[in-house]
Amino acid sequence: MATATDEQVRGAHLGLLERLPWRRIVLILLSIVILAVVAIGAYKTLTLPADERYTATTWKNFIILGLAQGAIIGLIALGYTLVYGILRMINFAHGEVFMFGAFGAFFFADAWEQSGFLDSNPILSMGLLLVIAMLTSIGVAVLLERIAYRPLRNAPRLVPLITAIGASLFLQNTARGFFGAQSRGFGVPAALEGTWTIFGVAVDRIQVVVLLTVIVAVTSLSLFVSRTTTGKSMRAVAADSEIASLMGIRVDRVIVTTFVIGGLLAGIAAVLFAITFESVSFTMGFRPGIAAFTAAVLGGIGSISGAALGGVLLGLLTSLGPALILTGYGIPSSFQLKDAFTFLVLVLVLIFRPGGLLGSGEAEKV
Amino acid sequence: MGGISSRSIVRTGLLAGAGSIYISLVGLYTKFADLALVGEQITLGRVLIVAPALVAAYAATRPRIVAGERRSVELRSGVALGAVVGLVGGVVFALSLVFANWFGVDRIREVFVAVTEPLLDFLTFDKGVPAGLPILVGLCAFGGAIGGFARTAPAVIRKPVSLGVLAVLLLGLLQRIIPIMLVELGLEAQGDWLYRPASGLTLAGAAVVFAVAAGADALWNRDGGRTRERVRATVEEAPAARVGLFVAIVAVLAILPLLLGTVISEVLGQVMIYVLLGLGLNIVVGYAGLLDLGYVAFFAFGAYTTGVLTGAFLNTTTGAAEPALSADLNFYVAVWIVALLAAGVGLLIGAPVLRLRGDYLAIVTLGLGEIVSVITASKWAQPLIGGPQGMRGVTKAEVFGFNFQDNPQHFYYLALAFVLLAAFVSWRLSTSRIGRAWNAMREDEQVADAMGISTTKFKLLAFALGGAIGSLGGALFAVSIGSLTPRSFAIFVSITALAVVILGGLGSIPGVLVGALVLIGLPGLLREFEEYRLLIYGGALVAIMILRPQGLIPNVRRSRELEEEEVTQDAWAKDASGEREAAAAVLPGGGLGVEREDIG
Repeated sequence: MATATDEQVRGAHLGLLERLPWRRIVLILLSIVILAVVAIGAYKTLTLPADERYTATTWKNFIILGLAQGAIIGLIALGYTLVYGILRMINFAHGEVFMFGAFGAFFFADAWEQSGFLDSNPILSMGLLLVIAMLTSIGVAVLLERIAYRPLRNAPRLVPLITAIGASLFLQNTARGFFGAQSRGFGVPAALEGTWTIFGVAVDRIQVVVLLTVIVAVTSLSLFVSRTTTGKSMRAVAADSEIASLMGIRVDRVIVTTFVIGGLLAGIAAVLFAITFESVSFTMGFRPGIAAFTAAVLGGIGSISGAALGGVLLGLLTSLGPALILTGYGIPSSFQLKDAFTFLVLVLVLIFRPGGLLGSGEAEKV
Repeated sequence: MGGISSRSIVRTGLLAGAGSIYISLVGLYTKFADLALVGEQITLGRVLIVAPALVAAYAATRPRIVAGERRSVELRSGVALGAVVGLVGGVVFALSLVFANWFGVDRIREVFVAVTEPLLDFLTFDKGVPAGLPILVGLCAFGGAIGGFARTAPAVIRKPVSLGVLAVLLLGLLQRIIPIMLVELGLEAQGDWLYRPASGLTLAGAAVVFAVAAGADALWNRDGGRTRERVRATVEEAPAARVGLFVAIVAVLAILPLLLGTVISEVLGQVMIYVLLGLGLNIVVGYAGLLDLGYVAFFAFGAYTTGVLTGAFLNTTTGAAEPALSADLNFYVAVWIVALLAAGVGLLIGAPVLRLRGDYLAIVTLGLGEIVSVITASKWAQPLIGGPQGMRGVTKAEVFGFNFQDNPQHFYYLALAFVLLAAFVSWRLSTSRIGRAWNAMREDEQVADAMGISTTKFKLLAFALGGAIGSLGGALFAVSIGSLTPRSFAIFVSITALAVVILGGLGSIPGVLVGALVLIGLPGLLREFEEYRLLIYGGALVAIMILRPQGLIPNVRRSRELEEEEVTQDAWAKDASGEREAAAAVLPGGGLGVEREDIG
């Protein structure tokens, strides 16, 4: 029944658009207004009096920070995009999977910092921390799938989403009960403090590590999905789970694998996030989780390279955007509006290009 | 045993043990160890020791379908089975304590902050690890036996006993509220007799509460059905009786605060605010099927606009300041302007997201809600609504010399008036042409569109009406608190309102009231739970979606639809799944999941 209905869905959308030409007009007007606001804001910011203006170094820092944070968000976004591709559900609790990974790594990092192991073996300890965080996140993700999502496999679509919201609250407050409400400082190996000079630009070492790790992780993931049998069965289930099960693919197992991979990436992202911000807390999953979902939508949900690209773009937009655009209008403490900016980007993407940047451009599932 | 495989028993027992360990780690035992409910011995902490085994045993002894036939477990084997489940759970729990004792509490506490010496003392009844463990295991087995009993005993016994126990537990929990209420009613002596000083119920008090609740339930079980039929028949025959019933309900609601006293009235006022939010969100989510996760936007809009329109002050570091824009209206004038403006905001939010469906809509509205809460807390918003410092002095709620603000009982009446208005509007809408159009749109948007329903128009209408009612909730909140800080307008509000609507049952107006009473009323009365409130909300959302997605009081039309669907369209699917379940129940360890008749 899927194909025929989808065809009809598209037909209905076209009909709606044709009947309402004002919608196009409004959208065009809206985009002109937005472009004007952005251009004027940027112009005003860049032509501020010299003593109020941001220096070139500040801009460079904004860009590198944006890249590094965007890369982390991209990793989390991959978890959303994989699960969405297969189950057509937003795993709202994915941010909490990420948070648990960070806590898992924290307790070891804390102990190793006191024993000196962290500073004496930076590479080994960071590698172990990554593994620990991955295992923790995978455990939480698999439990989540088994307890909260599997019983609802064939429920109407809003039901699993509400469940996911509930699971998110539950996990967040479980972490609060388990580990305490205060945020804790995350130790960083001494070798990773300070900067490296790359092409004449001083870059924080941590940000170099973050970017390299993310590149390795995303490359391995796309190889895994495109080359291995498991990856192929994942794609088959994403395309049509019913047909895939008729072809002898065990759909439940593929779904669990997807959650495992999502958890694994969230675990990596958790360690990178923790060493970047040097702290962990039970609320740390919420905002990055939403930002990651935004990134997944921005890149085109269901697309792996889209999620990574969306993450980086979103990172750049949120670190540069408020400073570049809002400062020009004399808005005080524009960085406070960073999260509002993230959501604004999300809303605009969904209005103008619901399929995302690398998506089909059609609002098929929207 | 009783047709249930031993593997299934062990597995359920293990889950019970895991539940107990979870409760220990999350800190519930430490928190409630000393909260006495009845006498000195029955504390909430001890009830929580019994609870996991009880729940697991209750689940394990449910009726199963074997070869297409529904088989209940007999009472004797049910109790025995439950005890075994509890025993397994207790042993697992005890072993974890042995491990904790051996490994060192202090070392575990570096990770799990709730694991302390007092926790271990509490769980071993101050006898230390090996000596106290048999008591613990015994208590768990006892809990399991009760769970088995609660499932398999004949309904004549089971229902009154369960209700009696629940009533005792509830009154025991309300130990700080009820005595004050009794004093206000002039029943101090009865209060002293019912409750121990600054503690839970006395044994005699508990016995009386149990007897009253169980007796009332037994009577209702015997004669209730007939009485209900008679009332229904009278109401259907004479429309005047319907009006009478309505007047009676309103009268009860009206004298409620006088009976319940100030403390409960204050909580009821908060409940009413969430009833308003729930009613508004119910239009958007329940009627029109548009999942809105940014409902806090309307709440914040209503509250702050009320503040601005009634001449509230901004909080500043030096004192108070006039907002950049300010009017000096009376609350009763301002509130209609607020609702009208909020409807406009609803249109503004609705227009760009018209094309989005389902989960995309949910995320975009979540984003819009977050934009609102980020902006209210930012310095940018300082000149108009106070930014991080907020506003205070929302005071103009006086009409004809009567101030609804000066005490919680008066505020309750104000809130009640708004709730009745919103409920009336919702009810009229749900049975109108608009309501049916929403219904059609919710069930299948394409078909509704093809049948000539303008989905654009009705979606916008739902957003506008939902927004207006939500903003009334915000306005009332502003009046009840008198001061506004951005912390009150976080995503938490959206989630709570959604939980209220879902717990009660999507699309059901009485459901919203019940949902708000449970989710806002209970935590409001039980301040001790504040820390665990969100944990319980989250767990409740998941559990409801899995066990009872239609909510506590389902919408009549919706449940009828569900039934029809089962009879006609999905008849084959039901048969097939029935067979699968039967097969699963025969297989060892199968069928731990929820059964179909529970989902209903």
